[in-house]
Amino acid sequence: MNRTVSITINGEVYQQSVPIRMLLVDFIRDVAGLTGTHVACTFEGVCGACTVHLDGEAVKSCLMLAVQADGHRITTVEGLAVDGELSVLQKAFNDHHALQCGFCTSGILMNAAEFLKVNPHPTESEIRSALVGNLCRCTGYAHIVDAIKDAAGRTG
Amino acid sequence: MTSTINMPHDRHPRSSDWVGRQFSRKEDHRLTTGKGQYFADILVPGMLHLVFVRSTHAHARIKRIDFSAARALPGVVAVVTGADIKDQIKSLPQPVVVPALPARYPTFWPLAVDKVKFHGEPVAAVIARDKYVAEDAAELVEVEYEPLPHVRNMETALDPAAPLVHEGWPDNEMFALTFTGGGTAETQAANDAEVDGLIRAADVVVKQRYRVHRCGVTPLETRGALATWDDGDGMTAWITTQRPHIDRLAMSDVLDIPAEKLRVIAPRDQGGGFGVKAPFYREPILVCYMARKLKRPVRWLETREEHLMSVSQERDQMHDLEVAATNDGRIVALRDRGLADNGDGCEGVYWGYLMPFLGAALLPNAYDLPKCDIKIRVACTNKAVLSPARSFGAFPARFALERSIDKIARRVGKDPAEVRRINFIRSLPHVTATGVNYDSGDFLKVWDLLIKTIDLPKFRAEQREARRQGRYVGVGFGVGAELSGVASSVLVPMENQPGYGAATVRLDPRGKVLVFEGDAPGGQGHETTMSQVVAQEFGIHPNDVIVAHGDTGTTPFGSGTIGARSGSYTVSAISIACRFLKKKIARIMAHDLKLDADPSNFVFADGQIVFAKDDNIRKTFREMVERIIMAPLNLPQGESGGLEHTAFFEADAPMICFSAHACFVEVDAKTGQFKITRYVTSEDVGTVINPQIVEAQVQGGVVQGISNALFEQFVYDEAGQQLTSTFENYKLATAADVPSVEVHHEAGTPCPHTPLGSRGLGEGIPGAVPGAVTNAVCDALQPFGIEIDELPLRPDRIWRALKAATEKTAAE
Repeated sequence: MNRTVSITINGEVYQQSVPIRMLLVDFIRDVAGLTGTHVACTFEGVCGACTVHLDGEAVKSCLMLAVQADGHRITTVEGLAVDGELSVLQKAFNDHHALQCGFCTSGILMNAAEFLKVNPHPTESEIRSALVGNLCRCTGYAHIVDAIKDAAGRTG
Repeated sequence: MTSTINMPHDRHPRSSDWVGRQFSRKEDHRLTTGKGQYFADILVPGMLHLVFVRSTHAHARIKRIDFSAARALPGVVAVVTGADIKDQIKSLPQPVVVPALPARYPTFWPLAVDKVKFHGEPVAAVIARDKYVAEDAAELVEVEYEPLPHVRNMETALDPAAPLVHEGWPDNEMFALTFTGGGTAETQAANDAEVDGLIRAADVVVKQRYRVHRCGVTPLETRGALATWDDGDGMTAWITTQRPHIDRLAMSDVLDIPAEKLRVIAPRDQGGGFGVKAPFYREPILVCYMARKLKRPVRWLETREEHLMSVSQERDQMHDLEVAATNDGRIVALRDRGLADNGDGCEGVYWGYLMPFLGAALLPNAYDLPKCDIKIRVACTNKAVLSPARSFGAFPARFALERSIDKIARRVGKDPAEVRRINFIRSLPHVTATGVNYDSGDFLKVWDLLIKTIDLPKFRAEQREARRQGRYVGVGFGVGAELSGVASSVLVPMENQPGYGAATVRLDPRGKVLVFEGDAPGGQGHETTMSQVVAQEFGIHPNDVIVAHGDTGTTPFGSGTIGARSGSYTVSAISIACRFLKKKIARIMAHDLKLDADPSNFVFADGQIVFAKDDNIRKTFREMVERIIMAPLNLPQGESGGLEHTAFFEADAPMICFSAHACFVEVDAKTGQFKITRYVTSEDVGTVINPQIVEAQVQGGVVQGISNALFEQFVYDEAGQQLTSTFENYKLATAADVPSVEVHHEAGTPCPHTPLGSRGLGEGIPGAVPGAVTNAVCDALQPFGIEIDELPLRPDRIWRALKAATEKTAAE
């Protein structure tokens, strides 16, 4: 069964008839063609690689259906940079070598971007706690924590 | 605590010295903006989706497969079973993916034929136009099984009464080897007798069984394969792989596709590998076969559940270790009887047993152990085959020996740090009792820096004070003398593949440089590191270098991104190729300027080529390159135009890197809960090319080791059902579970056998961790006399040991 949805992703409206069982992450990747949002677990919400913003709030796009996002605004990692200018957080990830394979990075950036809005001056312990919904296999997290702390300092 | 390495942060350096400089990664822009090009992002028009139906039994005969309902579902293009492909696809083993070692090699196809041998084995596959429909159809395939008695674990596998995993075998032993005492039964028996005598006569003997559970380094990106077929051009296959060139040769053999009609491409970006993407697996074979059969593009994208059911499972070993020492803690002899649980053993290249094989060879670690008796056996069971993971096979062996050394220290009344120091190999090169060559380095220098950094006497004083207050803090050590690349002398017999590093360096008329590498990285930062090496050689900026890798259609043969060979072998090949081209440029420049000069008289720096004897004589790099490529006139006698060279680097003998770890913990003696309060490493990576990337390899490797030792565990129940196929059940360490590591590489020694003095580092890092962490917990709990010899190291295990110790004390 299909239904027509209208979802705004990074400011662009995608109006499309989709199967009602289609996951939001598949809509983002397969319909909108925005492949920066990744899937690393079995759609169980554990890895966090598919994290996007739904009306400004970080959500895991594998745990939602596309039809549930009908009429909502989504921001993906492709929408973080403004006019080609990387965000402070993206720059900090590069400066601190906060990524290796990069597969978890999109989700961590989206989670951290929201986290820093809620908590602009976090402690290391708060940053680490905020990251438990994102798995990273390469970095051991240290440089991710450093980057988020540095980004907080630069924006705060 | 934050990562503490001090590094210059100069992003606009004036000097041309690029090796050793912090330089932010070139890969990051695309990866932080969502523009990475991973396997799942590759689309081909008309692509079909393949979904596997996998065994629900550990061991069962396939009675019947009914796929009529699946086939009838609209959108389904094909359903295929083992019976359909048995006579169409050659079974493995095929020569290119078989080690030159004496083992029993099971015969297998991409889909189970007649019977299934583990929970998760592919039984059938459905191919549909839509991925959701393919999943629906896979659910409709009905398989009738007749369950068979199964082999549960390595302890029971070698029992003569055990069921057989592979029919036709006399028993379940896949591999057995004696690593010490020479090549004949007589010399080995004499060696064993000598070791026996030394153990019997020794002042101190520590004898213990050590058990490391099944866990591994599952990458965040799962596996996948996408193949296209054209009757004229043949096949192009994108495979998540660390070894595209090996996959190509193996695929060519198995599917009888002429090698020139087969191109394998590892995606530009891969979401981690850590060894897991190094074998030649069964699933891509079926994808390629079906693409050719249907003459349509076919893709399989592995689910996490499939991944955790069938790969990323390593470590599963047991070691009965006896270590004999003098009263002052000097080890005089060692005996090990190793045993590994290899699952069904069906896996191209590694066959699961190569990990315990190499682990046993590397068991002596950095210690001077002249007399050893080391034997292992590898058993097949009804589980998934072992697949490689960083600290390839060595993780359990490292754990066993490091635990034994702490026990020796307690028996002789010395600090475990001191006992390690007196047992380190003091002079390199060194060949271990197992025949492994250690080329160079200075273990004591690296170790002493670690001990100085942690201020051990101060910590011991704090520990005594803490115990007076009823707090239990401890320190534990672990070290690793690890592979820095794998020489052909090791890799040809071990994996039937060459070990050399290879690179093509191509200059472009505008003065830019392209590097082609046949290996396939997954996050190690090759584009950055290799660009820095080229920039160093030519005196240009790393941004003027492009590194391409992983495409068998464009790159020189490489055995893959394995064994820490990029920082040792591949960068060395790049250096050699650059130096070859520099000489050519210098010869032509001398000729053009009518200078009586040797190529060594020209300095490449800051985009200029300067005549060292008169620095007014100079040309830009770009003008010389353009002149040689675009205007090849008036060249010296015998010289040709163009600037491109492929170089191969082979070390004369195997090389190593070294790292030493100190882990600090505080344990709650009531609950067994503990926290890692500090983790410090010191390592010898030789000449550091990019300090930030090297440090990150250590950070990540240590946390993988912690995650393996403390959290991750593949669990099979009594029926052989795998219970841990999601990240809910197979727990990886999160940011809140782990510390930042303090990393030091100041005590390194440049490798004398590589052009830059660099060593490869990444592969072995996790190996030192389980010993360090467990030793720390046992050190903290010495007032209770607790020793833990089995992993995972979890609070419940510690609590039980504490309870037993308390009850024992009360009874006494």
